[in-house]
Amino acid sequence: MKKQLLPYSLVNHFATKKILWLLCLLCLFFTSKAQTPSLMAIGNVLGVPGDMKFSELKSILMGEKQRWKNGDRILIALMKTNTAVGKATSEKVYDMSGDELNKFWLALVFQGKAQAPKFFASADELEDFVAQNPGAIGIVDRPLTGSEIKYININGQKIL
Amino acid sequence: MRINLKTKIWLTICFIVLMFSFFTLFYFPRQQGNLLISDYNTEVQNLANTVALGVNIALTEQNFEGVQTAIEYVKNDPRLQFVSMVQFDTSWNTSHTAFVIKKTIFKTFPEKEHPTPGMLSTDSVIVKNALFTTNVMSGAILLGFNTEEITESKEKIKIASIIVSSIIFMIGILIGFVLARNISVPVLALRDAANRVGEGDLDQKVKHIPNDEIGDLGKAFNKMVTDLSTTRKELNEKNVQLSSTVSTLNHTLLELKNTHAQLIQSEKMASLGELTAGIAHEIQNPLNFVNNFSEVNKELLIEMQEEIDKGNMNEVKSIAKDVIENEEKINHHGKRADAIVKGMLQHSRKSSGQKEPTNINTLADEFLRLSYQGLRAKDKSFNVTMKTDFDMSIGKINIIPQDIGRVLLNLYNNAFYAVQQRQKELSKEVTPFEKASPLHEPTVSVTTKKPGNSVIITVSDNGNGIPQNIIDKIFQPFFTTKPTGEGTGLGLSLSYDIIKAHGGEIKVESKEGEFTEFVVLLPAS
Repeated sequence: MKKQLLPYSLVNHFATKKILWLLCLLCLFFTSKAQTPSLMAIGNVLGVPGDMKFSELKSILMGEKQRWKNGDRILIALMKTNTAVGKATSEKVYDMSGDELNKFWLALVFQGKAQAPKFFASADELEDFVAQNPGAIGIVDRPLTGSEIKYININGQKIL
Repeated sequence: MRINLKTKIWLTICFIVLMFSFFTLFYFPRQQGNLLISDYNTEVQNLANTVALGVNIALTEQNFEGVQTAIEYVKNDPRLQFVSMVQFDTSWNTSHTAFVIKKTIFKTFPEKEHPTPGMLSTDSVIVKNALFTTNVMSGAILLGFNTEEITESKEKIKIASIIVSSIIFMIGILIGFVLARNISVPVLALRDAANRVGEGDLDQKVKHIPNDEIGDLGKAFNKMVTDLSTTRKELNEKNVQLSSTVSTLNHTLLELKNTHAQLIQSEKMASLGELTAGIAHEIQNPLNFVNNFSEVNKELLIEMQEEIDKGNMNEVKSIAKDVIENEEKINHHGKRADAIVKGMLQHSRKSSGQKEPTNINTLADEFLRLSYQGLRAKDKSFNVTMKTDFDMSIGKINIIPQDIGRVLLNLYNNAFYAVQQRQKELSKEVTPFEKASPLHEPTVSVTTKKPGNSVIITVSDNGNGIPQNIIDKIFQPFFTTKPTGEGTGLGLSLSYDIIKAHGGEIKVESKEGEFTEFVVLLPAS
């Protein structure tokens, strides 16, 4: 009796465990898919073009380009790397972790090779900054709230 | 080595200038340089601290503008050599037993500079670091500032020191000249003037008198020279007066000497006068013999002539023998008279002043008799007992016989006079019975002795003595107790001088109414 009971219970046990692992992985997949914010590039209505390529955006956000074509200075506004948007921005746009991004900018700023970007803790602050500064460009994950800012289509799409 | 005043002044000034130059050229710039370096180190450290603090705050807030601001705080400083961010990474060691901190240069501005994390300060660059710790990175700000400004400042200080030192040197030289002029020149002029005054030129004056202590010294010197000149004139006048006085005194002294010589001669003649009677008695005695024997011989020759006529030759021979014997006696007494006369002449002669070996016992005995006979000639009733005790071992001593004879004569005369006076006084007081057998026997004693290397002559008498109140005056010139006309008062004074001239001593001891004793001490050789 004992001999029969043990194998049966073990079989059941492993089957249950597999199912649970699969369920967990599925949950994680969908959860991660659901929590990754949809990043959008925004800019001040003055000086900032409405369309550009991703490579062009990346070049601008990495400080390689200092001024717009009309001569306005490029001002970069980003969410802090400890925020979800900031973390997503560093990964998607910069292809770096948050720390790497910080060190990247620290190196540029320290050597005076680029104008330091502004990091914000909230999207409102970031949008206010972009709205108030002509030539300012930023990355957000929500719809626009002001008339002085606009979406920038990257490769013809609003979402990065 | 003699250093004069001018050299001392210059040495002092040179010493001060050198000390000051050393201070301004070496000590002061070195101190200032050290101070500048110290301040510069502090300043660079403060800047590093400020940058590190700014970076710390900015990175914590992810405020890269703040980082930029913090870096720009030093970026525009012209002294900046470099500013680096050192990254500290903690990792396992190779054996995986402990953590090690690895320091790497994260970034450096400007890029051309390549400092190392452990870089230290050098002469050309001051390196300081300040730590920061953030969630982004832990590390340090390494700040390098060049020392060009410090070097320039040092050079400026050095140049300023050289200029100041040169100015001080010139001022020192100027002060040296002024001091030499104001101190040394007047002092040297004063010295030269003093030397000339010392050589006897009292017309010297210090002409340029500064208005200070040296000037006061010059004035005092001039006053001193003036006073000296005045005093010298007065002294010269007094010298002239003194010369006149000295001339007068010399003349007076000459007169005094003459008078003294005359007095001595008078004293000598006076004693000679006293001796005359004694001498006359002494001569009379042999003359009596001569006369008597001449008379006897005359009678014998008459008798002999008669016996010749009778042809009694034996009787003639006997008478002739008596005549011859008488002639011998006449001859003897004639020689004795001759000796007395010669002695008198010798006494009256001036002293030769030459010492000659003399038998002091003979001299003492001879003058004792002469003195006694002189007194006896005046007073036939005077009798005195003379006692002599001569030390025959004395022999001859070197003396001036005339002078010592005069001393002895004085002492004998005084002794005889004293005992005579005592006798006269006693004769007035005694009873007829006492006269028949007198208690007082006038005695004059003379003794000679030779104790050691000296000769002592003692003349003592039992006369009326010398009162104690005048005993200290008896050797003074012209002091006498004799009635006027009987004594000059020079006898003992001259005796004293004669004994002193012989290197001897004369002392007196007396008790009034009992005795007087004179002791003459003469060197035997």
